[in-house]
Amino acid sequence: MPCVVGIDVGTGFTKAVLVDVRKEHPEGEIGRAEPPVLGRGIVKTGAYLEEAAERALDLALREAGRDRRDIVYIATTGFGRYAVSFRDLQITEITSGARGARWFFPEATAVLDIGNQSTRAIRLDAQGKVSAFKMNEKCAAGSGSFLMRAAKYLQIEVEELGELSLRATRPQPISSVCAVLAETEIINHVSAGAAIEDIVRGIHNSLADRAALLLRRVGIGSDGTPQLVFIGGVARQRGMIAALEERLGMRVRVPPQCEFTCAVGAALLGLHRWRKLRSEEGVQRN
Amino acid sequence: MQLAAGVDVGSTQTKAVILAGDGEPRILARALVDTGAYVPRAAELAFHAACREAGLDPREIGMIVGTGYGRYRIAFGHAQVTEISCHARGAHFVFPETRTVIDIGGQDAKVIRVGSEGEVRDFVMNDKCAAGTGRFLANAAEVLGLDLEEIGPLSLRATDPVKLTTVCTVFVESDILSYLAQGRRPEDILRGVHLAIARRTVSLARRIPIEPAITFTGGVARNIGMVRALEEVLGLPIQVSPDSHFMGALGAALFALERLERYETSS
Repeated sequence: MPCVVGIDVGTGFTKAVLVDVRKEHPEGEIGRAEPPVLGRGIVKTGAYLEEAAERALDLALREAGRDRRDIVYIATTGFGRYAVSFRDLQITEITSGARGARWFFPEATAVLDIGNQSTRAIRLDAQGKVSAFKMNEKCAAGSGSFLMRAAKYLQIEVEELGELSLRATRPQPISSVCAVLAETEIINHVSAGAAIEDIVRGIHNSLADRAALLLRRVGIGSDGTPQLVFIGGVARQRGMIAALEERLGMRVRVPPQCEFTCAVGAALLGLHRWRKLRSEEGVQRN
Repeated sequence: MQLAAGVDVGSTQTKAVILAGDGEPRILARALVDTGAYVPRAAELAFHAACREAGLDPREIGMIVGTGYGRYRIAFGHAQVTEISCHARGAHFVFPETRTVIDIGGQDAKVIRVGSEGEVRDFVMNDKCAAGTGRFLANAAEVLGLDLEEIGPLSLRATDPVKLTTVCTVFVESDILSYLAQGRRPEDILRGVHLAIARRTVSLARRIPIEPAITFTGGVARNIGMVRALEEVLGLPIQVSPDSHFMGALGAALFALERLERYETSS
């Protein structure tokens, strides 16, 4: 059974998804709960990008019960997209993120993608085309790696942060704009006896502030009520969603398995390209 | 004999210096402890260690001045002076021709323009971002599995320095790891790290006129790799005292001594 692969080689994690070529996958078709995905794989990227892509792909194939012979087309995205020599197509993470977000939420007009090392604010027109985007990849404050470090200082698992933060009653301010210097602030809060959940919510608030600034730079938050879709691994944290909604004063939507959104977008764009190529071939053959 | 102390409570380490007055001030003792989470205790430990080193009873010290970010949390100090003034004063005492002080500490970096009397004329500072501070170097050392003391000398053995793509202390970790994966030598990576911080410091310094002589103070001044990288980027020689790390505490002690003298002449 032929399938198309989308691989997102991120700085922190590499994600792979398989989609079935026989399905049409119109936007929103499968509902917001079930992605059009046969299998998924996620691994830590590490230093060897192509090897990470291979490992993520193998996991996705195993989950789908397919093997490499079933693959007809491979599209890559993310910072390591050029490192995957077995790709057919590479797509920027702006385009793949927009496509993935729009597939889950056809009415989406804005996308916020918080990854391990970079944060992207994307504005879409009514047709779903990218009309503007801004990116922060220079500084870890505002990125997922800030949360990883914060979890380390607080000696808790990253997965716990989202729920903990929801239980905050008195969020603690984190004034530092640097993920490293914030460590001292976090430690001071701990030694002053602040509750862990209040510190975590403070960290989410500080991340939300930076995201709001980036969104404002592409005109989101200042006009109308865009349909904002939040993607990337950090969107798994419910406390982060709550902090964003509070800061922006709007509802924020998150697709299921949000860390795979760019991989799904790449696979769908790859599928589109593969069909086009095949129909051109068909025309030539006739 | 007039005895005065300066205690410099930095973000990372706390330093104390004891000075004897009467004529040219003399350093009797120095002490250094990690600041840790409990600032008042660190200040006390450093001060008492310096007294012990000098063979003095803490009660014999006539005046104690605190400086550094934790200066207001020193329970036993008589006065506080900013670390900007203290570094300028300390650097002027050690090298009277100093006109510019570059102070790189654990969590911040400052460039101070100094007058001929050791007074502060202007300063710029980065305390918003760990890039360009001691923290950046400490992180880089940790990623490479090296001690902080090793990285400076090792960086001088570089033949083909790497170019870092980022100065973010967090992101540079993956930069370093990918250079290692590419088989680049630690000395070449370290030289790249030192040059990146030097460039950041110099761009900070250019916001005020840089006038020789330049004195490099703070804990990072003990790193010879950093001294050489700064000299290369500035194109000017830099002077470093063996007491560079204690310059803030020394300046504070000099202010303490001055107050003590003023106090004694007036009474």
